Amino acid sequence: MKRFVVVFFCVFCVLGGFLLAGASPAGAVKVGIVLPLTGAEAKFGEIEKRSFEMAVAEINAKGGIKKGEKLELIIEDDTGRPDVGRSVVEKLITKDKVVMLGGGYSSSVTYAVAGVAQQNKIPFLVNTGSADKITSSGWDYIFRLNPPVSEYSGAIESLLTEVIKPKTVAIIYENTLFGTSGAKSFGAICEKLGYDVVMKEGYEAGGIDFKPILIKVKQLNPDVVYMISYIMDASLLMKQAKELQLTPKMFIGGAAGFTLPEFAKNAGVASEKVISATLWHQVLKYPGAMRYYKKYVAKYKTDTEYHGAEAYAAAYVIADTLKRAKSFNSEDIKNALAATDMMTVFGPVKFISYGKMKNQNKLPTYVVQWINGKLELVWPAELATKKLVYPVDWMKTWKYKK
Amino acid sequence: MRKILLSILFGLILIGFPILVSSDYYQHLVILAMMWVIIGSSWNILAGYTGQVSFGHAMFFGIGAYTAGILVVHLEISAWWGMLLGGITSMMIGLFVGWVCFRLRGPYFALATLAGGEIFRLIATNWESLTQGMVGILIIQTFPSKLPYYYIVLALAFVCILTIHLVMKSKWGYYFLSIREDQDAAESLGINTTLYKNLSLLISAFFTGMAGAFYMNYMAFIDPHVVFSLHYISIMAILVGIVGGVATIMGPAVGAFIMVGLQETFRSAFFGLAPQWTSQAHALVFGLLVIFVILFLPNGIVGDWPKIKRNVFRVKATG
Repeated sequence: MKRFVVVFFCVFCVLGGFLLAGASPAGAVKVGIVLPLTGAEAKFGEIEKRSFEMAVAEINAKGGIKKGEKLELIIEDDTGRPDVGRSVVEKLITKDKVVMLGGGYSSSVTYAVAGVAQQNKIPFLVNTGSADKITSSGWDYIFRLNPPVSEYSGAIESLLTEVIKPKTVAIIYENTLFGTSGAKSFGAICEKLGYDVVMKEGYEAGGIDFKPILIKVKQLNPDVVYMISYIMDASLLMKQAKELQLTPKMFIGGAAGFTLPEFAKNAGVASEKVISATLWHQVLKYPGAMRYYKKYVAKYKTDTEYHGAEAYAAAYVIADTLKRAKSFNSEDIKNALAATDMMTVFGPVKFISYGKMKNQNKLPTYVVQWINGKLELVWPAELATKKLVYPVDWMKTWKYKK
Repeated sequence: MRKILLSILFGLILIGFPILVSSDYYQHLVILAMMWVIIGSSWNILAGYTGQVSFGHAMFFGIGAYTAGILVVHLEISAWWGMLLGGITSMMIGLFVGWVCFRLRGPYFALATLAGGEIFRLIATNWESLTQGMVGILIIQTFPSKLPYYYIVLALAFVCILTIHLVMKSKWGYYFLSIREDQDAAESLGINTTLYKNLSLLISAFFTGMAGAFYMNYMAFIDPHVVFSLHYISIMAILVGIVGGVATIMGPAVGAFIMVGLQETFRSAFFGLAPQWTSQAHALVFGLLVIFVILFLPNGIVGDWPKIKRNVFRVKATG
């Protein structure tokens, strides 16, 4: 008897909690944004959230969507887990009744979320999740602003063939959807260019001791070490490489963790001269790119980089789509999104289908290098803000005494 | 009499819930809670009643989920068959673990399950031709509505609790308890302790595997980090049991609703009413809750209900 009372009590507590949920202001067009605000990827979520909020404030200051309707973003935390991401999206679709979705940071979460969006026929504009599978599954409600991870290394490829000319390459990647697909496509590129991939090894996400893997790299002594990592692991990899005095011709990061300001902060001198693929840099000649960068730095007193620009641009694409949509039903929004052809701080946005890809935006990629604690654009050479530092004397850079 | 009436009423509320509350979101949370009822109860029969603490129920959960997923990906058989097959596969793996570990005493079983969960996570990550590695398995849900899932998981939870209830009332149940209390004494009475520990493990593995297969069907996406997670599955199974009440029939059920409710409350920062930073506090609150329960309610909320009544509601204990 008592036991049932307990169960009762608890069920009612839980239900009571559910019913407390708040309502949002009327006259707003609601768009759901899924980002990792807590957990290991929270730093990426933060930079994107701030950029989304900045963009929405600007859009609404200029009159919102149409007939004075404001754009309202409901930003929800996916905690970096695909299953949570899935529940979050279901909540956004059924409870908040959002007209479309945006965001999507980590590849695995984005992939799971995209599955739900497609099934519910809710248009989803992905701005960061980059595994190829997200736009190569033939889903017509999924659109992607950023290039797929297999194209991240485009600029790196030309840098390798023209400047570094390595013979051997080691690839280290985080065992996640983003890491494995990036490693696979970079391995294919190396093979095509005739470089010998001496090592291709994944490590567990959330690991802190990379020395076993780095010692193996040191023994193989490759010309180039290519790493695909999120944030803490990127800094730790470089720090431990420094401690082991691992000195290849070049350390190359495959975007993500290697361009965040936190990378330089955490890794300190070990981040110097590391180069990374990137999708954006504030000096690019896209309208508003520099203005966005300066505004962000002034407001939050910290640097921003390509993830922020992706989010900022995505907000403008969302606003533009909703302005052009005949109505806010998902079919009309999907058609409007498909017809997008606009310029953003992140570059031109136009969704095309090529190869296996569907509704994919095509953009060039760049190479950045950490020079004196600043992220400088070094490749392609004609756009560079600073000349690529190469070859690098790592022992001197790391301030080891001879 | 009142007990029977109450349980009927409680059953009716659960059956009627999706009709009363039509929001998919709340239905989703209750479905998740119900899934945890199954996992928590399965953990409980092994750890609570038989005294063999498992730190690796993610192993059984993940095997169930992957069995269902692999059926779809490689054999194009509906993942619903995985509900049965997932349970059976989990049982077979459980039998192997039990066969190896149950002949030993002490913490070996706990350690073996802990390792087992991790081993299977690594296998699922690296055996890409079978499991698709970190890409995970994505299937298309069978039903667009939540209702079928709700009633399937409700039925499953009911069957699971009923089975455990009946087992515990049978001779097996007494054997389980005797093993927990004193293995030597049990053995001296002629109980084949290894056999009965294995039987308890099989029941536990079967239902956890079914819950895993249900998860595959319902969430339609799994990857090794989701289903073989030490934090989110193995530890959560233990928390559900401890908070609700170890070695009580309804304890894990109560624990499941509390834990899922708490988790969602914090994730959504009190349903958007509290500032965002509160969502970061969820691990902290889980920790505090466990410390509180262990210190003041060592038998869990259900097990120590008379104590709660006495101290919180100032009601004199009557029986």
